[in-house]
Order: sequence, then structure tokens, then C-alpha cells
Amino acid sequence: MSDGYKTLHPVKYYREFLSQGIRPDGREFNTFRPILLNVGSINTADGSAIAKVGNTTVVCGIKAELCKPKPDAPDCGFVVPNLELPPLCSAKFRPGPPSDQAQVLTQLIAEIITNSNCIDLRDLCIVRDKLAWCLFVDFVCLDFDGAVVDAAVVSLLGALKTVKLPLVEYDPALESTQVFLEEKKPIKLHSMPVSTTFAVFEDKIILKDPTLEEETLCSGVFTIVLKDDELCCVHKPGGSPLAPEELVKCIDESKLRTPLISSLIATTLKS
Amino acid sequence: METELTKSTFSCKLGILSRPDGSAILSKDNTTVIAGIYGPIEVKLQKLLIDKASVECHYRPKSGLPGIEDRMHESIIRNTCEASLVASLHPRTAVLVAIQELQNSGQLISCAVNAVCLACLHAGIDMKFMFGAVTCFSNGVEMSLNPPAQTHIKAVFVFVFDSTEKRVIASHTKGIFTKEQFEEAVELCRSGSDQVFDYYKKVLTN
Repeated sequence: MSDGYKTLHPVKYYREFLSQGIRPDGREFNTFRPILLNVGSINTADGSAIAKVGNTTVVCGIKAELCKPKPDAPDCGFVVPNLELPPLCSAKFRPGPPSDQAQVLTQLIAEIITNSNCIDLRDLCIVRDKLAWCLFVDFVCLDFDGAVVDAAVVSLLGALKTVKLPLVEYDPALESTQVFLEEKKPIKLHSMPVSTTFAVFEDKIILKDPTLEEETLCSGVFTIVLKDDELCCVHKPGGSPLAPEELVKCIDESKLRTPLISSLIATTLKS
Repeated sequence: METELTKSTFSCKLGILSRPDGSAILSKDNTTVIAGIYGPIEVKLQKLLIDKASVECHYRPKSGLPGIEDRMHESIIRNTCEASLVASLHPRTAVLVAIQELQNSGQLISCAVNAVCLACLHAGIDMKFMFGAVTCFSNGVEMSLNPPAQTHIKAVFVFVFDSTEKRVIASHTKGIFTKEQFEEAVELCRSGSDQVFDYYKKVLTN
């Protein structure tokens, strides 16, 4: 009975639940979904992780390649993120070139990486103007159930923590490179960005960590990314207008997630 | 702290294109953008919505093909228009927003958003409220609405406000900042948006 009601009047169904202060999946407005993290899951990648936020699943794999730095930044390497939304993850996506949403999410993750400064591009340079590492950070979403950026950022951190780059020697006279695969070193992570997504239901109720169903019914979604005590991204791409005080309140709420995620990553790496 | 947007740098002309239902060219400092609105027009079956008009946005950079950064601009503008336009008046139709960047010397997003709002006003399409975007710069100590002369900028904020209650429709940030700086930036841009809305009025009444 309730299934039929939900299909026919999804908004009304949600409104009735939310007016009682609870969400249809049993969570309160400001409860996160449980997060799972598994690191080093892909053998062929230089670093990898799988993150699950509720049902949302994102796999992150990092592949390192040697390349030549750009002339305008001779002492910097590269980090190239790419998020894929295959047709497997949701009925919304079709095979073919990346959808608009995939491109926007890729750009958002790229901005989070540069803004938070979690990887110093200068650490990736091996020989100035000659040789640097290019990290291809590929994300594949396996289950698209809302707050994909949050899951992607957690998997990014897990993958970066497991990256090990081999020692490279460069001979300037012969312009030849020698790679020592036996001697591998981890890269330094300078900060730990933590992202939290919120959705606004009917201009009033703010739901933390929304599922896909909530995201589609809501009139606006926004993401706040924190780096320790500072902010590195408040991304609200339109949607229903919010008073500035409410945004600030959400910033405070998202601060609660930082200790959870850092302890999650620490325990995952230990085991 | 500079709270005054240098008004004289805005310049705008409405209706410079004949084909779109509404068009505007807006330049602020040395950033220039043309925006055109078609709508309500026939919709592609794939994008048809039965209860409201679907908003499409196309952004063209000044050279080359649009990249993923431009897709993000598109998503900000499309979602802002979706919030502002009364889409439920025209079900099973589309509203097309086309933007052409002509010149970019910073503050591109806010210039594009403001040009789109002026084009919507020129088209006479039904809107719940006007929207205005303001960019604000922080060097870690001070905030300014005008780009500081020295190059050391720690954070850049772009906010889009609605004209009725001055609430935040969209927000986009670059760089690292604290919560206090964020609050300060919102307040500063909020007061700066008054000048944007005043400018709209001036353009429309002239």
C-alpha cells in the first residue's frame, strides 16, 4: 500500500514523513549514512580505494605516469581527476560520452583537490623542467545513490594514502630515465578535505547526506568541503534560495564529520 | 575594506540580437558577455517535463570548444534560472539560455549570471525574482568587492542573490578561508548586490 502511495505521490509521501521529523529511511534530518572504506583493492593501480556512503559506491584508482612538466610551471607535476558515471550506476545515465553531470562532478573534484592543497604539485616533480609524475585519478561510480562527491572525496583520500611511487633516476647527459620498481615511496598528503552534501526540501527543511531519491525531490543541493578547521569549497549551484545564516549553520554541522572520517581512514589503513 | 562597487565600470545594452526573445550584452571592467534567451520554445522529447518548462543552458568560451570548467558555469546558470523562472507556467516546453563569452579579465561567472538576468528581463519571461551575482576577493585579512591590485589573493567568492529577500541562490568559492571570512564575504556581497539590482533598474528605465 505505502509503496503505491510513494510511487504516485512521492513529494506528498516525503512531506508527511518530514513533517514528523523523520526521513523515510529512518534517519533524522541531520544523521549521516554509515561510511565504509576499503583500501588497496586494485592490484594493478598505484593506489586505490572503494568508499561506500550508504548505498553510494565509488571506486577510486590512481595510476602514475612519467611526463614532462609544462614550461609555465616547470617544478610542478599533474593531478588529473576523472569521474565516470556508467549506465550501471543509475537509470539516468546512458552509455556514450560523459554526461553533463559527470563533467560537473569531475570539475568539482578537481577544484576540491586544488583548493584544499592536499597534494603539493611540487612534490610530484622529479627533475625541474624535465621529469614529473602525472597522477591519473579515476573514479568509477558503481551505485549512484546521492552525495557522490562525499564518497568520491573519501575514496580519494584512501587511494592517495596507499599510493606508492617508485624511485626514478634521471641522467641529464644521456637524457635517460631509470625506474627502480623495488624502491617505492608513499606521497605526502598535506591536508584532509572532508565533503558534506546537503539537500533543501521545499525551501525549508535541510537534509544532510541525501539519497538520490531525496536529491531529485529536493529543490536544491549544495556541498561544503572542509579542510581541518578551514573551508575550501562552498558549492551551491543554484536551487532554492537560502538565508546566509542557514548556510553558516550547515558549515558548523559539517564540522562534525571531520573526526569521523579521519578516524575511519586511520583504522582502515591500520588493519 | 572597499564596500563600494565601482559602478561606472558596468555597461550594458539590451536587445542587441534580433533572433532571441531577449538578449543583453554586459561588460564589467574588461569582462564582456552576451546572453540570449529563447523561450518558451519546442522541447526535445528527451528533456520534456510534463509539469514545467525545462531550462537548457549553453555556454561558449571565447575560443575553442566548451570544457569541463564551462560545464560547471552552465550548471550554476541553469540551476539559478530554474530557481528564478516560473517554469510551471509553461509545461512541456523549453527555455534556452545561450551565453557567449567575449572577453575575460576575471569575475566571469558573476558577469555571465548578471547578463542572463538582464536578458531574462528583456525577454519579459515570468520570473519569481531577479538574481544578481557579486564576486568578492579576500587576501586573508581584508575583503574587497573590486579585484585588489596586488596579486596575492587567498580566496575568491561568487554569490548569487535573489532580489526579494537577498538570500543565497548560488555560491562558488576558490581558495581556502575560515567560517568567519565566509560570513563576512556573504554580508559584503549581499550589500554589493543592491548596487547590481539598482543598475538593472537603471538599465530598464532608460
